[in-house]
Amino acid sequence: MNRPAQVAAVGYGCSPFYKRGTSPHAERKLLLMAIDEAARMAGIDAADIDGFVSYGADQQDGPRLTGPLGTKELRWSSLVWGGGGGGSAGAIAHAQAAIVSGQAETVVVYRATAESSSGRLSSAVIQGVFGAQYRAHGIDAPAQALGLRTQRLLEHDGIPRSALRAIAQASYHHANNTPWAIGRDVRLTDEAYDHARRIADPVRLFDSSRENDAAAAIVFTSAERAAELSATPVYLLDAAHGARGPRWGELDENHEPYTASSQAAPAHRIWTRTGLGPADVDVVQLYVNFTGPPVSALIDLGFCTAATAGEVLTFDNLVAPTGRLPINTSGGDLAEGFLHGMGNAVEAIRQLRGESANPVPGARTCLVSGGPLSELSSVALFSTDPDPRPRPTTS
Amino acid sequence: MATERDQVHPFEARVDAPYWAALGEGQLRIQRCVRCLRWCWPADWRCPGCGSYDLGWPEVEPVGTVYSWVRSHLPFVAAYADLVPYVDVLVELPGAGGARLLGLLTGPEDALAIGAPVRGSFQPPADRTIGLPVLTWALDRGDEK
Repeated sequence: MNRPAQVAAVGYGCSPFYKRGTSPHAERKLLLMAIDEAARMAGIDAADIDGFVSYGADQQDGPRLTGPLGTKELRWSSLVWGGGGGGSAGAIAHAQAAIVSGQAETVVVYRATAESSSGRLSSAVIQGVFGAQYRAHGIDAPAQALGLRTQRLLEHDGIPRSALRAIAQASYHHANNTPWAIGRDVRLTDEAYDHARRIADPVRLFDSSRENDAAAAIVFTSAERAAELSATPVYLLDAAHGARGPRWGELDENHEPYTASSQAAPAHRIWTRTGLGPADVDVVQLYVNFTGPPVSALIDLGFCTAATAGEVLTFDNLVAPTGRLPINTSGGDLAEGFLHGMGNAVEAIRQLRGESANPVPGARTCLVSGGPLSELSSVALFSTDPDPRPRPTTS
Repeated sequence: MATERDQVHPFEARVDAPYWAALGEGQLRIQRCVRCLRWCWPADWRCPGCGSYDLGWPEVEPVGTVYSWVRSHLPFVAAYADLVPYVDVLVELPGAGGARLLGLLTGPEDALAIGAPVRGSFQPPADRTIGLPVLTWALDRGDEK
């Protein structure tokens, strides 16, 4: 059993979400400013950060950051391979591994993309994914591949369209209260959702995230040190990444199970190691590159089944402060801004520090899901309590 | 033309080169382990079932069923822009252990649904298909040959 938690987040920084290609700052500068912001909140000198972790083809490798940060000693630098945003919570698992093993003491997990200075990160992310077997047939975009997987989720697995709509509407609803969210002024009515521009059937405009220029960083350290540094440490109960199948990997749409999110394997590991389960989670920050994958994630994480997805995933259930399963309380990837999932981890910390624009009353635990319905995905579970006890099951 | 991200030099050194070469000759060939007879798709260097590196390329009839589909409304690939909106189908091949292939759907779409039978046609290399021979698919309505 992993409890009590050995690692905690002590600070975060997040740039504004700029429209793609319009960041006023170069990518590395944007990232350095986010790291500085996180270090200030943590009450540490940025030069004391000794570990650097990112994921999915990030171009800002740790050693390149040590110069401008004045890093005193570099002890850990790693990237979660593959899966694009699937590694977003996996990067948190790397930080956990580094700190628990004693390899490093203060680890920053980060993501940065600014097309204006570094080209399109998504191009780098998908470079290895969309090979000849896709492009010869006119497929070269995540919307198309996720469209294929979502179509089977709807038509074969029987997930109702209303579940996808509820995820989009809950996201925009939360963005409406979030001053910095890109979707703060969008009122996503049923009509607006249903009649939105078609992107790649079944994906419509409001099912689809749009990449922003942005950078975000979270500073992690040992739970022991966090308690000294911060009045509101947010404990990392566990994190995991990976996948399992009968067939998994980059398999040109031949992976199996096809519409399972790859969340099942990391979810099973964190539930087993923490002794907690879906009933113990107060808020969920889902990865919503498109609205199909998070449905698959919620099924694999144990929050619903394919059969109950329609009744569980309703707008009323998914919104703070009254819903039973509030999701994406900053607006998330769809409506706060898209930074390959890093914004979700930041919002998890924000929510548990009581700083969210959509607070969930009494929230004690928050789960972050990274990059479902891809060949690799990840999960992280945070809490205000280093050793939360499972809730008694009522049924 | 295939762009540099598709190139290993030469193209014939790719693990799936026999697939493309066969399509150019009007044949569909899918990789299969010679030792344990497991279908291996997409092609790779090692059989995930038995670990053998002895992999063959038996011919398979280009017929299957729609496993899923997507209709693209934006010109995600410039060479397909004039076809927008177009449907790609993911086809499951019962004759190759359920291996799945992507391809453009041509002809009537009214019977398009998961599970619908489809038949492939061999197309010569074209600019649209990054210089590769491909299969396109049509719904097999049973009343035609």
